[in-house]
Amino acid sequence: MSDPSDALTEDDVDQIVTLIGALDKSNFDYLQLECGNLKVTVSKGVLPPGTYAIPERPDAAPVAGAPIAAPQSSPATGKSAAIEVEGTEAILAPMMGRFYSAPEPGTPPFVSIGQKVSPDTTVALIEVMKVFTAVPAGISGVITDICVKDSDFVEYQDVIFRVRPD
Amino acid sequence: MSVAEETPIRRVLIANRGEIAVRIIRASRQLGIETVLAASQADRDSLPARLADRTICIGPARASESYLNQHLVITAALATKADAIHPGYGFLAESSELAQACIDNGIRFVGPPPDQIRRMGNKLQARIIAKACGVPILAGSEKIECSEHALGLAKRVGFPVLFKAAAGGGGRGMKIVNEPADLETAFQSAAREARAAFGDDTLYLERYIRNARHIEVQVLGDRFGNVVHLGERDCSLQRRHQKLLEEATAPAVSGALRTRIRESAVVLAQTMGYENAGTVEFIVDRDNEEFNFLEMNTRIQVEHPVTEMVTGIDLVQEQFRVARNERLRFTQDDVTFRGHAIECRINAELPEQGFRPNPGRIVQWVPPEGPNIRVDTHCYAGYTVPPDYDSLLAKLVVYGFDRDEAIVRMRRALEQFVVRGIGTTISFMTKLLDHPDFRSGRMTTHLVGTMLPAAAA
Repeated sequence: MSDPSDALTEDDVDQIVTLIGALDKSNFDYLQLECGNLKVTVSKGVLPPGTYAIPERPDAAPVAGAPIAAPQSSPATGKSAAIEVEGTEAILAPMMGRFYSAPEPGTPPFVSIGQKVSPDTTVALIEVMKVFTAVPAGISGVITDICVKDSDFVEYQDVIFRVRPD
Repeated sequence: MSVAEETPIRRVLIANRGEIAVRIIRASRQLGIETVLAASQADRDSLPARLADRTICIGPARASESYLNQHLVITAALATKADAIHPGYGFLAESSELAQACIDNGIRFVGPPPDQIRRMGNKLQARIIAKACGVPILAGSEKIECSEHALGLAKRVGFPVLFKAAAGGGGRGMKIVNEPADLETAFQSAAREARAAFGDDTLYLERYIRNARHIEVQVLGDRFGNVVHLGERDCSLQRRHQKLLEEATAPAVSGALRTRIRESAVVLAQTMGYENAGTVEFIVDRDNEEFNFLEMNTRIQVEHPVTEMVTGIDLVQEQFRVARNERLRFTQDDVTFRGHAIECRINAELPEQGFRPNPGRIVQWVPPEGPNIRVDTHCYAGYTVPPDYDSLLAKLVVYGFDRDEAIVRMRRALEQFVVRGIGTTISFMTKLLDHPDFRSGRMTTHLVGTMLPAAAA
């Protein structure tokens, strides 16, 4: 985005309108955008908690001019797969750690898109300090999305897969 | 000990929550340090999470699966390329394992080295170290082998005695024994509880002081052997060993006692080569002004603001400076004390119902404001206090030219503090402030208990 000390350019407005469109289609309640001294809050009726009573404004993101995207500061799910997809259920990371899509480096991934899974199917490993935990699908269905990459860092309850349930 | 030259910290992972996380973020900002908050799911949308440059959700609300899990904390720091971890107070703040894991993973721990945490963490060993430094300790024992041994020791020390867990601290795992007939039962149950709570049933005993004041000294050491004290605090007003009100400096103590307590704390810290912020706790017998070492806490404490108010020194910033391998910027002579400060802890508890915690949604939150009033909090109107953690909502701290002025200011500040939606201890703190024993400055650790019906004491 342009320098916030200038007036918004047409491009800026286009970007904001695009973000508003994405908000509308999503299940998120509100979008907060900060850029230098400019702060825009767009909501679908539910305001960020404490909007009028928070004693301090959060600072702008550390990278000058970069918007703070909704998944970062909203109460909804974490950084990945912010938009929900109709007809699918999410598999959430049961713990924070490093996500591995395959049992070992170089071996085929546990699951791929289109694969059928049952609740006990291992879909990934999450590692914390060299301790690996298998992640079960927890649901019967077909994998429709793989939302993180091998060796990505995932937060607790980040969306890691999407499944179309049986 | 060779120390690296000054090394800036670029990014700190804050392994804590609530008001202290807010506090650490503020200090970090002042120093140009980026902040990453490691938050549980219950705190994802908390005030510190909004203030931090980045927030990582490390686990569910339950502390054992989030804030108390050092592997998650270290992993989060590595993943976010934080070069330091600040543990706050409570949780892993006095975990020598976390401090060691930081070293093993090339992360700076904002606190003392692991062996100092370990030595002071074992309360029995801390006593032995204090004694070796010439710091007075209560007549008592080293490790007790069995109840017969305990009986002999207790008779020598003189009843009443107090059994304490070596692995305990903070008032936990203690049992008073008034006479020999009670000793066997007390010994067994103290050992049992210690094993359950701390995984270690090692006990020691100390003479029990009936009319005790709790006075502690703030110390600060850099990595070059420089140690100063930043004065003492009186923390006698406690309920079940939880502090409710603290003040700096300690009222109604002689100049001689004040000097001796401060110097003892410095001697202990200096002998250990103590690094970073710490607090040396003493018990003062109100009846004869004898003081004795209790324990040392190797972390920043909840009540640090009262020390900040009377010295003008930002303790959390100083913690970061020490961690950056900087020398202390002031000598003992540079530390001056001005006026008097009082802190009231405001908790989400119902005093009229035995201080039952009452988490829930805060509908209205209007803290007092004005000169010399400071409120350290993570709360705001609309915030839902989660049930998973301690009940501290805010620390209301006031400064006054002298103690009387501070008391008047605190009274007014408490009256102006409006919280609706959940019950708080604000009205109880007002009563405490009005109590004649408090006003006289000669309160003991029994005072709060006497104000409550037996059930709530």
